[in-house]
Amino acid sequence: MELKIIHFYPDLMSLYGSYANVSVLRRYLEGLGNAVSVETVAPGQEADLSQADFLFMGAGTERAQKAALADFARFGGAVKAAAEGGVTMLFAGTAMELLGRSITDAGGKVFDGIGLADFTSVQGRKRFVEDVYGKTDLYPEAVVGFMNKCTIIKGVDTPLLTSVAMGYGNEGPGGAEGFHRNSVFASQLTGPILVKNPRLLETVAAAIYRHRGETLPEERPVDRWAEDGYAITAEQLSLRCQSKK
Amino acid sequence: MRKFLAIVVCKLGRFVGKLIGKGSSMPGKFALKICPDILARVQLPPHIIAVTGSNGKTSTVEMIAAILRADGKNVVYNEEGSNQIEGVTTLVLTHATLSGRVRADVLLIESDERYAAHSFKFFHPTEFVVTNLYRDQLTRNGHPEWVYDAILPAIHSETELILNADDPLSSCFANGHGKVRWFGLDKCAVSTGAPTGVYHDGAYCPLCHAPMEYDYVHYNHIGAYRCTKCGHAKPATDYTATAADLENGTLTIDGTVTIQLAFRSIYNVYNILAAYAACRECGTAPERIAGVINNYILKNGRMQKFTLGAHHGTLLTSKHENSIAYDTNLRYVASTKADCTVLIIVDAVSRKYFTSETSWLWDIDFDQLNCGHVKRILLSGRYCNDLAERFSFTSISPEVWSVQPDIAAAAAALREEGGEDLYVITCFSDRDKLLTLPDVKKEA
Ligand SMILES: [Zn+2]
Repeated sequence: MELKIIHFYPDLMSLYGSYANVSVLRRYLEGLGNAVSVETVAPGQEADLSQADFLFMGAGTERAQKAALADFARFGGAVKAAAEGGVTMLFAGTAMELLGRSITDAGGKVFDGIGLADFTSVQGRKRFVEDVYGKTDLYPEAVVGFMNKCTIIKGVDTPLLTSVAMGYGNEGPGGAEGFHRNSVFASQLTGPILVKNPRLLETVAAAIYRHRGETLPEERPVDRWAEDGYAITAEQLSLRCQSKK
Repeated sequence: MRKFLAIVVCKLGRFVGKLIGKGSSMPGKFALKICPDILARVQLPPHIIAVTGSNGKTSTVEMIAAILRADGKNVVYNEEGSNQIEGVTTLVLTHATLSGRVRADVLLIESDERYAAHSFKFFHPTEFVVTNLYRDQLTRNGHPEWVYDAILPAIHSETELILNADDPLSSCFANGHGKVRWFGLDKCAVSTGAPTGVYHDGAYCPLCHAPMEYDYVHYNHIGAYRCTKCGHAKPATDYTATAADLENGTLTIDGTVTIQLAFRSIYNVYNILAAYAACRECGTAPERIAGVINNYILKNGRMQKFTLGAHHGTLLTSKHENSIAYDTNLRYVASTKADCTVLIIVDAVSRKYFTSETSWLWDIDFDQLNCGHVKRILLSGRYCNDLAERFSFTSISPEVWSVQPDIAAAAAALREEGGEDLYVITCFSDRDKLLTLPDVKKEA
């Protein structure tokens, strides 16, 4: 297949190695024999979402996020239509907040989100920082990652992580994290979560295939470094969870 | 009375603490319990220099101390690096008379970015040096703008700011501030035309978020920036590196002062420049500063020489979770000429806390090692797989790099084979895991 990835604001929303989500997905899809193109969108630049197979935006600072939102608002309708149509997308870190109803900054100023989902985000003057070890109902293995945010998100009915045994969820310590509906994935876990979680990468790739009326082939490339790295991190975090109990 | 008691308790605590080998923050903590505003009640020296920033704090502070001492000044500073308010209190009170006068000409403080506002609640620096602000330890700091917002309340209107003109973010501290002195590096042999590195934090103006343009860059996004909209741009500098030649190890300041670089890194150039600016502001003559720096060897051992088998090794200490520290060390390795092997160790991400967070590896420009004389790259430590995954996305041939999780085994393999130069890139948290191995012989 010929697959098209659209990466929004790679310079502006680039914290914590977010870009690696695109790199690893592209390599995975190419490994399955597809021709993959990546189109980047800078603020003010035109983009046609109608042919996209995957939309991505990474984490940015709270100020960069507002600058991104100011531009991204014009894509709101198109992104929602794409989501309705089953297009796969991942919004990582502070980009997740753009999908909701509103973002309130630490000074109390309210910004409208694109309203793809009904949640609301409130930013504060304290950061929530910790490793995360959690569960998803998408597959049996644990989800690993790191949280560094200053936002409490309320009103998510369909989270990506159903619970976290360590670290912060949408509303604070523990609880559920992120957002997932059909082929829309969002998480505040920082950085390259698709690198750190090979099963999540596979799940996202499967969603891209599904939208094209295909299923992932039985024979798939195995990324040994990613698998081994995941195994060590999952083991370390699991041990830490047990010692805390 | 409380002031007197706080000073006595602090001095006693420090005395006992030294006997039993305890750190330096506890006595200050007690003193602050007795008299919370003790720092506002003591008579501080005429110069209070604070240094903060993401990189280069310790080196800059050490250089300032060496220069000012050579200039005959009595300098008090937190050599043990306990740079939160408790440590500063201990420092100040142990050097104070019982009536509360600090016996020194200069109080020099390496200030943690996150605690600066807290430390300077009761007094303020006369000179405040900010070396730079960029991605550093996201597990503590979040991101550079967050750190900027944390430092801002620490800046008193009477403080003279000594700022890096080439850093688009920390230069913003000058906005609306009266007294500012700038240091910076002119376009010279090390300059490039456009920002380098994996990510581009200088792509947009920190003030208005319009795109920025660069006339030249010294490393990453540090250079001559210019906002296309609001006028935020590299200012004219008061203390200027007018020429820098890393290949021959010379630095010229203000066209007249020449310095021989012991460590030929662009990093070192900025640290020297920051120290130079601070010391000039304290009245030290340019020649005196140059004389000290020419004979100066960094105490904190960021560059340790050693032998391993037939290899001559250089340990380039980076900070994990600090991509620019890695980038500059990789650039240094790339600038060498002879065939070499590079060993990269990520075992404990931090020595202070546990984390499995490795996203910072994706911010490092490892492609800099894609050059002919880097013959072999070994990746080692608990997070060697994460390193390998990162390397699998570089342009470096898979023939060149390999993985050995066990650090001792990696060292043993090196001992057995070859005699090319060896560069080891790792953090304080992991360096001793190599340096203390029996096969590794440290050189002075
Ligand atoms: Zn601007």
